[in-house]
Amino acid sequence: MPDIGVISSTIVAGVLLGGILALTALGLSIVLGVMRLVNLAHGDFLVVGAYAGLFFLQFTGIDPLLGVPVVAVFVGVLALPVYRLLLAPLADRGAEARMMTMFAVSIILENAFVLAFSADTRSIARDYATVALSLGPVTFPLIYLIGFVISVSLILTVHWLVSATAFGRDLRASAVDAEAAATLGVDVKRVQMLTFSLGAACAGVGGTLIGAAFQFGPSSGGAYLLNSLAVVVLGGLGSVIGTLAGGIALGALQSIGGLTLGDGYRDLVGMALFLLVLAFRPDGFLARGRT
Amino acid sequence: MSEAVASCPRSGYAPARGLVEVAALVGALAALWFAPDFAGDYWLQLGFRTCVYLALAQGWNLMAGSAGLVSLGTSCFVGLGAYVAFGLLNHLGTPLPLVLLICAITGGALAALVSPALFRLRGLYFTVGTLALAELLRLLMVNVSAFGGATGIFLQEDPPALPVLFRYALVVAFVASLAITLCARTRASVIFRAVRDDEDAAAQMGVRPYRVKLGAFVLASALAAMAGGIQAVKLGVIEPYGMFGLQWSIDVLSMVIIGGVGLRLGPLVGALLVVALGEALADYPEAHIAIAGVILIVLIRFAPHGVVGLAAKLPLTRRVPA
Repeated sequence: MPDIGVISSTIVAGVLLGGILALTALGLSIVLGVMRLVNLAHGDFLVVGAYAGLFFLQFTGIDPLLGVPVVAVFVGVLALPVYRLLLAPLADRGAEARMMTMFAVSIILENAFVLAFSADTRSIARDYATVALSLGPVTFPLIYLIGFVISVSLILTVHWLVSATAFGRDLRASAVDAEAAATLGVDVKRVQMLTFSLGAACAGVGGTLIGAAFQFGPSSGGAYLLNSLAVVVLGGLGSVIGTLAGGIALGALQSIGGLTLGDGYRDLVGMALFLLVLAFRPDGFLARGRT
Repeated sequence: MSEAVASCPRSGYAPARGLVEVAALVGALAALWFAPDFAGDYWLQLGFRTCVYLALAQGWNLMAGSAGLVSLGTSCFVGLGAYVAFGLLNHLGTPLPLVLLICAITGGALAALVSPALFRLRGLYFTVGTLALAELLRLLMVNVSAFGGATGIFLQEDPPALPVLFRYALVVAFVASLAITLCARTRASVIFRAVRDDEDAAAQMGVRPYRVKLGAFVLASALAAMAGGIQAVKLGVIEPYGMFGLQWSIDVLSMVIIGGVGLRLGPLVGALLVVALGEALADYPEAHIAIAGVILIVLIRFAPHGVVGLAAKLPLTRRVPA
């Protein structure tokens, strides 16, 4: 049995990492809630964010964590044509057509990353990425704390946006019943487009943070997508605060799983949890509406 | 095979037509059985790949087109079949036909085992669940050293010669096509379509949607595991990243969408086109997947019923209902 310091460090690191995981899943969650779309290219949007952060650092020399707003806008704007050209025309064609279109976007992006940036694994190398912080017996990487703070701030901002603004009201109305919202004068297409873009922007920031904390490569998107799906399932669909809770829960449980079973089992614990929650929540995470 | 099946106009419940189709399948099997006597290795390789793809696509088409289940977990069952086949061959020396049968049974059993979790949620969540299941099994194989870990397992005996392998794959494709024909040409087809079109209405008419979906999922999974088994024997060495790779799921989905979801000829046309596309783009492996992606997007947008659906709109051919 490892000593108390190792255990508490692992759990703290897991919770901090969970905050970042929550941000990486946020875009998937709100797009699922508003558009009823499982965005299978979400993981690749995260990879776009990671590359954007990396090249932002290389070309401007500005720290990617300061450049995070630029990355967010960049990825958010990139998502607009994807919605306009690919998703909007399929609006009246059932959920599968849009999901498979995003799946195609995902494999195109992955292929494009390899062609443009080679298959090498990279990371956004910063000095502070390797610094360890110690609080009593608890030791954790500084980058986790920075990422956690940025993630939670952004998630709370999105929560405010959804719960307290006019756009948020339209967004919630479209999520509950798009047809009724349209009847009441909500421009559902515009709301969906902005939601998609907002989700991508969050993914961009999340990708930069993941890229700073870990290595990433052109095909990391698949693993990111699965982790994000696990967070969304754990936290409940479309709920911003639920996503934060789901992320922290997944981060902590993965860390504990990695500690007790061995590091290779981290992701396995995530997937097993994912399927268990699917199995034992009979109404599923879409309890409020139906697909 | 394609010509014979193409000449049958299709409608739902038509036992007589079913006999014609079965006869056509048997004829195709008999004719292609002797292909190794005429064709060179290159064509046998292509034929083998087409047969494996066809078996996978037939099952996927049954799930998506007839029961409304869009799966991204084909690789899960392909990988399972591969590992079961190697386990039996390496440790027990089981004869190959029996191995393939056990692969199919294992695949179907796993599908039945996980179905309570995957069917709780409708539509898209089934897709997400199958994706997670494939990932779970892959991680299991990577981490458990008894399954060879990340390096994989070698087949201890020499794999059969290519003509023999081709015939095995041909039989696998035949079994898959026959099973799907039986599903499509009996009363089952009507039940399948009722569930796909409106689960609640079907339930009110006395159909049990759960059983119907389960049947489609189990059958498709058994076929995928069988295809995975013969594919593994041909490879001679398997590792988790290849056998559980998302590529299998992508290929199957592409084939059925390109061919035409829910159409009887969709899987065959799709499998032929995907194999042909792979050969045409063999010199550009980097761009291969991206081009497949672009084709998918264009087809989903402009030809929801795929190439077969497009062909059916031509004035000279007869209507092909979904």
